[in-house]
Amino acid sequence: MQHCTPEQLALAALQEPLPASDAAHLDGCDTCRAEVAALRRAPDLLSVPQLAAPGAAVPPPPRVWDAIAAATGVSAVPSPSTTSEPAPALGAVPPPPVEADPPGGTVVPFRSRRRPVLLVAAAVVAGAVVGAGAVAVVQSTGSDGNGDSVTTVALAPLPDADASGVADVVVRADGSRVLELELDAPALEGSYYEVWLIDRAVDGMFPLGVVAPGTQTVELPAGLDLAEFPLLDVSVEPLDGDPTHSGVSVARGDLDA
Amino acid sequence: MSGALAVRSPILGSVRGVDHVPGTRSSVAPDDAEVGRRFAAGDEQALAWAYERWAGQVHGMAVRAFGPGPDAEDVTQQVFVAAWTGRARFRPDDSPLPAWLVGICRHKIADAWARRDKHRREAEAAMTEAQARPGGPVTAGVDGAATDRVLLLDELDHLGQPQRGIIELAFFEDLTHAQIAERTGLPLGTIKSHIRRTLERLRTRLEVDGAALHA
Repeated sequence: MQHCTPEQLALAALQEPLPASDAAHLDGCDTCRAEVAALRRAPDLLSVPQLAAPGAAVPPPPRVWDAIAAATGVSAVPSPSTTSEPAPALGAVPPPPVEADPPGGTVVPFRSRRRPVLLVAAAVVAGAVVGAGAVAVVQSTGSDGNGDSVTTVALAPLPDADASGVADVVVRADGSRVLELELDAPALEGSYYEVWLIDRAVDGMFPLGVVAPGTQTVELPAGLDLAEFPLLDVSVEPLDGDPTHSGVSVARGDLDA
Repeated sequence: MSGALAVRSPILGSVRGVDHVPGTRSSVAPDDAEVGRRFAAGDEQALAWAYERWAGQVHGMAVRAFGPGPDAEDVTQQVFVAAWTGRARFRPDDSPLPAWLVGICRHKIADAWARRDKHRREAEAAMTEAQARPGGPVTAGVDGAATDRVLLLDELDHLGQPQRGIIELAFFEDLTHAQIAERTGLPLGTIKSHIRRTLERLRTRLEVDGAALHA
């Protein structure tokens, strides 16, 4: 049996598609798969949206320069004409090209493209939620076999979390809505996962209930405006009897991306 | 060395060019390369120029990682202060100043994550200690991703060109090896073998110094 070349295995670790024969071999070969697994920790840790090449510029407030000048003792001053440009709109990054709706429209595997598409949603992460960062989202809208309409959102792991998943908002023929959540996350002890819908200011939020690794269906409150609460968030909640969000989010997606 | 030269200028593309608005800057303002040289030479005006031109991109990265607010502002401040105090290590002939600033920004973001991770572990350890039977192992939250990122970014700093440029295009610009070959003008086979060797080197660094091993 011909193993994949070391170079092909490195490309596989970068999530590049391999030629069909190599891909078929890799599928069935423990040796090659183990090699890919060993090589991919570095790309997995570094190829994250937060470390990607700069996207939209955001002018820092003037106090940042003041602090730099104070720390360095530099007396030169940046020209105000260039430091007071209006901020480009956050999220001005063009939305990712959406792939053709898959048949049935229900499944968009995370990383269905070579990598999650980088989508800046910086405005989303103000203050309230610890560790929140840019959100990688692949979304598509379609309908399933029952004629129900479906919006799919991939949940991207937040930094240092290893949870991800796919959620479908299914609008049933009778107009009621459910969230079908497939959560890929480690089992917890002494705490549990909860799924939330949160507004963009991270100000208002609806707890939708306790969820567990695996697939489950959660009813959405009738009349809840998803456009107003577009952030789907999975948090880790301690068993402390406190009903509010713990501030520890492990995965998030944007229904309105 | 023609290969190294060939790869250099495309990699400048990792930082978006800045439109210099006519009329907003005095005609004596030098071009980006000159700003880089003066920065390395310790000209204070060059720090102000660098801030004018690239603080928005650096701050954009910080905001992308932490949201708008004090954490992002801290990172942006740290990047420029570290760049200025560490300017002796900046080689204007090896890399453009904005790319160097972006590299420092990655370090500062990873450092901030590692600090948060450490605080969280300490808090969790304290909770575990309070709740669990005495003497039990404290393993909560130990996965070392934050610490390993810091290590990996450090290892990238030790790569020469064109290896570093190639792996950065793969990691940070999400280019395939074929796109990297196109961008750099280097042969496909060269790109593939550099990627392979760099990933092995990074794996070795994690195996030797990685957090998971010492957790």
